[in-house]
Amino acid sequence: MARMTKEERKTTIISAALQLFSERGFYITTIPDIAKKVGMSVGNFYNYFNSKDILAKELIIYISEYLGRNIRVINEKESSTEEKIYEIVSMYFNMADEEPEMIEYFLRVYLSNREIFGDGCEGMLCVSPFVTEMMMFFNDGVECGKLHNQDFFSAFGLFMGYLGGMVFLFGEKILPEPLEWYKESISQNIYNALKTR
Amino acid sequence: MITKQLINQIEGEATISFDIKDGVVDFATIAFPHFRGIESILKRKDALDALVITPRVCGICGHAHLMATVRAIEDAYKNAGYRVELSKKVEIIREFTLVMEIIQNHFKWIYLTIIPEISKLIKPNQKQTPLKGAYAASIASKAIAIFAGQWPHSSYMIPGGITTDPTNVDILKVESYVDELINFFEKESIGISLETFLSFKSNKNFGGLKSDISFLENNLMNLNMDKKGFAHDRFLVLGKHTFSKPLKIEQTYPTSSDVKYVNITEAYSLNQVSYAKNAQYGDIFYEAGPLSRTISNNLPIVKNIYRRSKDSAYTRVMSRIFELATLLQHAKNLLSKIDISQKSYTQCMDISKITAKGIGVVEAPRGPLLHLTDIKDGVIQEYKIVTPTQFNIGSSTKENPTPVQQAMRGTTKEEALFIFRTFDVCSVCTTH
Amino acid sequence: MHSKQDKKPSIIWFQGLTCNGNTHSFLNLENLEKLLDKFELLSHPTLPSTQDFKTITDCTLICDIFIFEGTYDPLMKRNNVLVSNIIEHYSKYAKYIIAAGSCASFGGIFRSSAPQRNSGILFVEQEKSGPLLSYERKVINISGCPLHPQWLSYTLNMIEKGNNIEIDSLHRPIELYSNLAHHGCTKNEYFEWKVDTENFGEKEGCLFYKQGCRAPMTHASCNKILWNEVSSKTRVGTPCFGCTEPNFPRSNLFSTKTNMSIPEDVPLGVPKRNYLTITGIAKTFHIKRLEGKLIDYKTTD
Repeated sequence: MARMTKEERKTTIISAALQLFSERGFYITTIPDIAKKVGMSVGNFYNYFNSKDILAKELIIYISEYLGRNIRVINEKESSTEEKIYEIVSMYFNMADEEPEMIEYFLRVYLSNREIFGDGCEGMLCVSPFVTEMMMFFNDGVECGKLHNQDFFSAFGLFMGYLGGMVFLFGEKILPEPLEWYKESISQNIYNALKTR
Repeated sequence: MITKQLINQIEGEATISFDIKDGVVDFATIAFPHFRGIESILKRKDALDALVITPRVCGICGHAHLMATVRAIEDAYKNAGYRVELSKKVEIIREFTLVMEIIQNHFKWIYLTIIPEISKLIKPNQKQTPLKGAYAASIASKAIAIFAGQWPHSSYMIPGGITTDPTNVDILKVESYVDELINFFEKESIGISLETFLSFKSNKNFGGLKSDISFLENNLMNLNMDKKGFAHDRFLVLGKHTFSKPLKIEQTYPTSSDVKYVNITEAYSLNQVSYAKNAQYGDIFYEAGPLSRTISNNLPIVKNIYRRSKDSAYTRVMSRIFELATLLQHAKNLLSKIDISQKSYTQCMDISKITAKGIGVVEAPRGPLLHLTDIKDGVIQEYKIVTPTQFNIGSSTKENPTPVQQAMRGTTKEEALFIFRTFDVCSVCTTH
Repeated sequence: MHSKQDKKPSIIWFQGLTCNGNTHSFLNLENLEKLLDKFELLSHPTLPSTQDFKTITDCTLICDIFIFEGTYDPLMKRNNVLVSNIIEHYSKYAKYIIAAGSCASFGGIFRSSAPQRNSGILFVEQEKSGPLLSYERKVINISGCPLHPQWLSYTLNMIEKGNNIEIDSLHRPIELYSNLAHHGCTKNEYFEWKVDTENFGEKEGCLFYKQGCRAPMTHASCNKILWNEVSSKTRVGTPCFGCTEPNFPRSNLFSTKTNMSIPEDVPLGVPKRNYLTITGIAKTFHIKRLEGKLIDYKTTD
């Protein structure tokens, strides 16, 4: 194996952990399982993450940064608010398609095991990069006159709750069509719900 | 013969056109040339913005404008069917800062206006110490600023209360400023204790005194100002305060007054552009301000002077000085009644829900100040301001003169110019 | 500029469309007498001065320092002489021209009554296109509605001493206007931890989030050089209205303009994205001492 930097190694661990959590569940997966999957000793693993809880938090920061990075690229484009909504929906659904373990971790582990994230990951601490970019998106939308000026969480909940719900239905194999099929109509719905009245 | 006289150092500029016959003023009109359009600036603004805009009507009595605005908006709340709760503390602090502004104004008027003006008429001149006025006013301003953040141009009164939540540390500091002012007034202005001054039975008590005020009093008498400068012998108070009640007085007979009878007419002036308007009660001109307030309050010393000298220039000047003295005492009294544990602010309905008219009436340093507003969904549709100078220093016809026009009649031009100042002119307020 | 033998620099204080607020604010200066002793006051709206007003409007003399208060209105006359002629005369010969207050600096409140013609003497709001453009190097703006007496006294003292006054792009002295009104605000800790005040009339909480406070976006030293030596707007729970800036007066002064709960304007020079990141994180923490009434917090740790 070529020599990896510590950061690269960390990323490998994160990918492996996400995969295992998604396949077997968060509680059942142990540190030895993860260490084994990346081909390292348990002792060496602890050089990277002191505990499973710390790993759990790092994972959510990793996902939040990933989402934030992608939304920022969209935010900084010259495109219209409508197009941006489509691009965010599209990015989110593609991620659910191509890297389902990330969204799954976010929905199944982060949102439903708050006790793990209580200390040091409460509120905005771990999801800040993602939420900040959504704030920027809404702020810009209002500033250019396209979106109705309202409470942030009312709008955020509508947008992300909708997407999360669709991905959940998709994960449960309830959706009759692939996610791709819904992008257009969902983007339209979100825009219609949030646009200037 | 008509002669024009430019007047400045009156919070702006005015021109008096004198019609002189046989060496004395037969008739005079007054024109105020500058106009700033505050009422139109206020249109279509959020009603609360008036709390920031209207103090800028006037640099010397902006606090009175603030209070008139807050009263007008609170009146609109009531007329729209919403309660506005004001704690006792709020009422006292608002009242206190208003009183301090009047005190500030009167000190400046004594030292920066009336003493320099009287010095033009007498020889040897009375010693001029204008910076005494600025000093005393700056102390009064400090006392205001502890509650209001700054003076001039504070906006600390808001519908439902005040923005500040003072501690005992603040109250003690304010007390010390009031004491400093009283001390200054005793030492520098009157030369005796405030208590003694306020217990004066008649102007004979000035005998033997040597102080700024006794010199002024003496000079006024030497100039026979107790026999000159008579207005209509009609007095009007409209603002309801701890130091005033709405009354009109004719031939010493007081009846209650109501702001709804205030009437605004166009000013009349000889061949000059003026942006001023006249304020009348019904269709009659009344004198407003410290003389009216002290008479309506039955202040014994002013009543006594008035009995002898009626509404002469002398009485007008002295009433203002005695008002200053009573207000210093009143300010101290108000402070002692503040209970800091009471609420500074009680939230009222969002202004955007208010559609109603409202009137705010306040006694400003120079007399009644009226703000009339018409609010729709929290936005100002119409805003009218009537200022004290419009009551006193309007410009009307020879047949129906305003108080100042009446008061200047029959005197020499030089005397008339002094008498003009006894009303304490505010040009900027007049033509807001 | 002056050695001891020189005569005192002369001042003319002249007014356009004004409320006199700057004049009265200046009278509050501590040690006013000491300052005035250093100058020859040729004309002033309230203080005794050596020339009568007619002489001033006749433009038969000159002065070293020309102070203009109020909004400039090209049609306005003083004593029947066009103000435009008067300020042209004095500006030509003066060594310094001081715009006293926001009206003279940028147009201020009274610009809005005739925005197509009223302006400051050098600026029309933030645009440098006022009537004294040809004398721009002499112009110092002491903005503020009103100006702070110590800001003007600083400027006059610096001139009298012959010191250089560095100015910003809006011609305001850097030493006075590089501070923000936010600096020294007693509510700073609430701003740091993003604790907004529930209501007016409270010592606790910051006025930036709901009540419209402009202090973090306003160049002014109000909380460093206190008003009347004792206080400031924000110290008594009144939001800063940004009165030293060219866009004063804005609208809806008692509420913060937000886009989906996000402040439209964030502290000067801070990218909004960074501001939102910090805000989100700070809001996460609940600090007991900052959430209750100060007076109820009796522990000392």
